[in-house]
Amino acid sequence: MAEGVVFDLGYRPHEGPRLGRGGARWALYRDGLRRVLGLRRRMRRKVFPIVLMSIAVMPALFFVAIGVVAGQFDTELTFFGHSQYFELTGVMALIFIALAAGELLIPDRVSGTLAVYASRPLTTIDYLVGRTLSLATVVVGFLWLPHLVLFLGRAWVAGFGSYVADNWPTLWQTLLASFVYFLAFAPLALLIASTAKRGSLASVLFLGVTIVSGGAAAALVDAGFNATGLLALNQQPGYVKDWILGDSARTWIPEQAGYEPVVSLVVILTLAALFGLLLVVRQKKAS
Amino acid sequence: MDATPVVVVTGLRFAYGEIVAIDGISIVVPAGRIGLVGANGAGKTTLLKILLGVLPAASGSVEVLGTNVATGLLDIRSKVGWMPEGDCLPPDQTAADFLIYAAELGGLPTRAARQHASDVLGLVGLHEERFRYIGEFSTGMKQRAKLAQAIVHDPQLVLLDEPTAGLDPEGREEMLDLIVRLEGFGINAIISSHVLTDIERTCDWVVMLDGGHVLRSGPMTDLSTTDELELEIIGDPTPVVEALRRRGGSVEVSGAEVRLKLEGGDPFVAARDALAETGAALRRLGARRTTLEDVFMGEDQGG
Repeated sequence: MAEGVVFDLGYRPHEGPRLGRGGARWALYRDGLRRVLGLRRRMRRKVFPIVLMSIAVMPALFFVAIGVVAGQFDTELTFFGHSQYFELTGVMALIFIALAAGELLIPDRVSGTLAVYASRPLTTIDYLVGRTLSLATVVVGFLWLPHLVLFLGRAWVAGFGSYVADNWPTLWQTLLASFVYFLAFAPLALLIASTAKRGSLASVLFLGVTIVSGGAAAALVDAGFNATGLLALNQQPGYVKDWILGDSARTWIPEQAGYEPVVSLVVILTLAALFGLLLVVRQKKAS
Repeated sequence: MDATPVVVVTGLRFAYGEIVAIDGISIVVPAGRIGLVGANGAGKTTLLKILLGVLPAASGSVEVLGTNVATGLLDIRSKVGWMPEGDCLPPDQTAADFLIYAAELGGLPTRAARQHASDVLGLVGLHEERFRYIGEFSTGMKQRAKLAQAIVHDPQLVLLDEPTAGLDPEGREEMLDLIVRLEGFGINAIISSHVLTDIERTCDWVVMLDGGHVLRSGPMTDLSTTDELELEIIGDPTPVVEALRRRGGSVEVSGAEVRLKLEGGDPFVAARDALAETGAALRRLGARRTTLEDVFMGEDQGG
């Protein structure tokens, strides 16, 4: 009878390649994606991302299904086009960013995990860039995916080659508009999350500031203070989105105040840079 | 372990505003298990944070594993692990997931990170608990998980800040055993603690800090060896004490314990002769070991 032998492998030092800072950044980015989507976390962390994404994509799938069944894509029949679709997903994105920003930054600070990052080949900027990119990937993907579904559905019904040849600018336009929404909302959400101890508090504060800014700006513009039209944080990305997609169906508050969409874009970029800078300062203090 | 120093500090100074935490210290720390001892506020944690580049030195230079902290910080961080005194574990992740992530953050490729995380979780005794959320861990398990994250990327040096804090006696013993084993894995360790017996038990070199100054830095053997002898007598020690004094010994008595110091002679020979002369029964005889506490209190009062 053969005797069993136990081999104690003990501790085996790593002798393979080390990926250094690049590997650490890539790991940080992937962890951010998992966090935002609630992957490898408790079930309750997964519910909200899944629900929001489902709500965002369902109408697109529904319209594609109608188009396929009807054999044609009738804009009247499908209620709205790419520009109008952002009205739905833009609100979803606002709520999603409010929740995800807190999930990305607050647990690391509150549970002390920043100390682990401090002992790895990463800088504070690496940390913030990794977290921001993971949020950007999910948010832009979440905003753009329904448009891709609509585009491919329409191409399928209308004849792929000719439809793509005639309408391909829609793809980059919707992608760019999705990115504008991210830039308009995410930096402020991340900045607030970098100061809060509870995710729910950060979410409510961010949503409050953003929504109230729109209401307050509308009232002030109506009262003749046109300059305040640029402070309508929840209105800027929609105005720029319409400019990118060539839509003029709706009048936005900055437009009502007499500003060109390019001014709104400059405001979005300036505020993003300012909030980003404050975020770096705040995070360096926390590290 | 090789003879290259793991840390070289020259003229290091650091202050929190007006409060000077590290006051111009210079030390050379060899490879091995190094104890960093001092009272609370002595500057231990500050020094560890400066070694990691978390805090910037106000003046002076710091080299870790042959690389200057000011110029090669990220290179150092690839080779160093840190177990902070406070919490550093995400409660909503499983131990396995977090360890894999911690290894990847240290630069290990994903497959190697998985393998190493599994090995290290086994090493610290958490293999059975690897799929539990860290938030459900006891204090002892969390301390072991903290040590695991510090070594999971196979560093050359690990900085352990109060590794036995909050542990019960059994957990403390297990943690000290793990620390002693690190050297066998090729991992140098700097262990910061105000529990002197922990340092005595685990370290072969000690750096004593007090008020931002270095009281002493040297091998444990230098600190613990004395030229004094300790005897424990069964029964009345007086005849032995007198016999030792007749042989020129300086004797201190505490109950049945007799401490002998002999200038210009072998105290063991004197003790043997005194015991033979008096016929006293002996329970214990040996060279007296100085504890870190003796040294610390002596240096503190002297300095």
